[in-house]
Amino acid sequence: MKASATSFDPRVDLGRGLLLANPVTVASGTFGFGFEQEALAGVGHLGAIFSKGTTLLAREGNLPPRIAETAAGMLNSIGLQNPGVEVVARDYAPRWAKWSVPVLVNVAGADIGEYVEVVRRLDGVTGIAGLELNISCPNIAHGLDFATEPAAAARCVAAVRAATELPLVVKLSPNVTDITEVARAVEDAGADAVSAVNTYVGAKIHLPSRRPVLPGHGSGGLSGPAIKPLALAAVIRVRRSVRIPVIGIGGIANAADALEFLVAGADAVQVGTANFNNPQASREIVEGCQAFAREHGLLRYSELRWQELDHPGTEESGAPAV
Amino acid sequence: MSVLAEAFAKELGSESDLRRAVDEVARCTALLPLRANLFQLSFHAPEVARRAQPGEFAQIRVAQSHIPLLRRSFSFSRADRDSGVVSFYLGAVGVGSRRLREFGPGDEARILGPLGRGFSIPDRPGRSALVSGGLGAAPFPLLAERLREVGEEMIWLNGARNSSELYPDELIPSGVKEVVQFTEDGSCGQRGRVTAGLGPLLSDLDRVYACGPNPMLGAVVALMAESKSGSAGPPQLEVSIEAPMGCGFGTCLGCAIPLRPKAGPGESAVGLCCRQGPVLRGSLLDWERLLTQPAHLQ
Repeated sequence: MKASATSFDPRVDLGRGLLLANPVTVASGTFGFGFEQEALAGVGHLGAIFSKGTTLLAREGNLPPRIAETAAGMLNSIGLQNPGVEVVARDYAPRWAKWSVPVLVNVAGADIGEYVEVVRRLDGVTGIAGLELNISCPNIAHGLDFATEPAAAARCVAAVRAATELPLVVKLSPNVTDITEVARAVEDAGADAVSAVNTYVGAKIHLPSRRPVLPGHGSGGLSGPAIKPLALAAVIRVRRSVRIPVIGIGGIANAADALEFLVAGADAVQVGTANFNNPQASREIVEGCQAFAREHGLLRYSELRWQELDHPGTEESGAPAV
Repeated sequence: MSVLAEAFAKELGSESDLRRAVDEVARCTALLPLRANLFQLSFHAPEVARRAQPGEFAQIRVAQSHIPLLRRSFSFSRADRDSGVVSFYLGAVGVGSRRLREFGPGDEARILGPLGRGFSIPDRPGRSALVSGGLGAAPFPLLAERLREVGEEMIWLNGARNSSELYPDELIPSGVKEVVQFTEDGSCGQRGRVTAGLGPLLSDLDRVYACGPNPMLGAVVALMAESKSGSAGPPQLEVSIEAPMGCGFGTCLGCAIPLRPKAGPGESAVGLCCRQGPVLRGSLLDWERLLTQPAHLQ
């Protein structure tokens, strides 16, 4: 199907044959494996689904409390609770195969060997449209190592790249000195796209008991509207650093938020925390973006991009300009 | 799955059916102020009211703005199919509930529900005790209505720390045969805890329904485990437990609850309050782990 030059084409090409019907997807960890939302509000409207982080073996996750509300945001420390890759490949993928929306499995591991083993189990499984490499989970021991060290991130991506032909998105952590270095490193190592950003490390204090609300180190990952300006700035910098598609994430709660990320250089977006307080959020965002496109006579969403971002891959490393 | 795990899964039962839930724009019909910071808040939400069962809950979106960000979870206290009105029994204790305390007739909120798994309603009538602590009384008016419909004989042990935190007698449905009040400070009814009243009744009961703070529920479980059961066996115990929830429908994984660690090697002993609960058989929970959670969560 080829869109004519005069009609609106909402599709987004993430590379390696992964063509999304529209740029609105849902973020890992905010949509489970899709089945709850399928029952509540349907999934057919989405451009793609990014699954809950999946590890080699089942994980029970962290002890409660696991979440804490903050001003216009929330902290989470779930600890990668998931049923393990075998259940995902054997039980979930056949159900996804019946959906029109592509499902990308978010993959996490403790070391490169585990990443590769998980990816090998998912490779070639019908119903799995691609992978998102979670090199940046803040809630498991050593989870940030791959995300903060460009060379380590590149080694992990290269090893996974060699193990699969599936489209490969790499999810970047904002908890780094220079996100552009990591973005370039994973692009060079074979990533088809990057998603930015994962949660920001944050903490909440319970004053009466004089302790953090979350257990362990007392911190978790901050998400929600509170991080949107930070995420937009990160997306602008990542867009200027790499040539591959960028998927913007961070506090998107309505269509205007999503469109702002497209202006900032994102090719697609992930709706995250908004899925928790509004099961219809992603549907409303898809519809709102389409209405905006009609109203403004767009032919492609990429027309929205800030014009000074037209030459990606040009930003030098270093601290962001303020 | 191991044989043990399969048996456990069968006992645990299926997860809540999300297809029954609707997200309805509801209009506030009344706010009834009660003692201290307690109140009953009612909404016209006909689709939710038609579906709601005792022990199930709703996720209420308190504000259109991003503060507070998450919906608030409340058990249905009443659900009237004819008028389409659902009511919730609340205390103004946090950001969300204090905002709800400001609601008045005509104010709108989105209500998503029913969610979770509720209390079992018996096919044949028998004798039940409803055991509540403080705000834990919330789901019992609706439960009492449904139990009355099957002809159940009910005694309600209504407990709180003091008289100002006690669920008001005048709101208890008429189908409840006997109400006994307990306050820890003796300011109303009998001085002491509800467990003191429950012990002597156990041998004559078919069912116990309990809702309140986790330590109270743990005490009920312990009491029933120690007591000698009559010829018909021990009464069946269902508890409605609370855990901080993000979404209410199983995707945020925030409301983890420790289940009895007998699921078998390699099987998860963590459940979600919003899908496997909030009402569970008392014997399915790992009370030792549940009661060692940080004090600020109790």
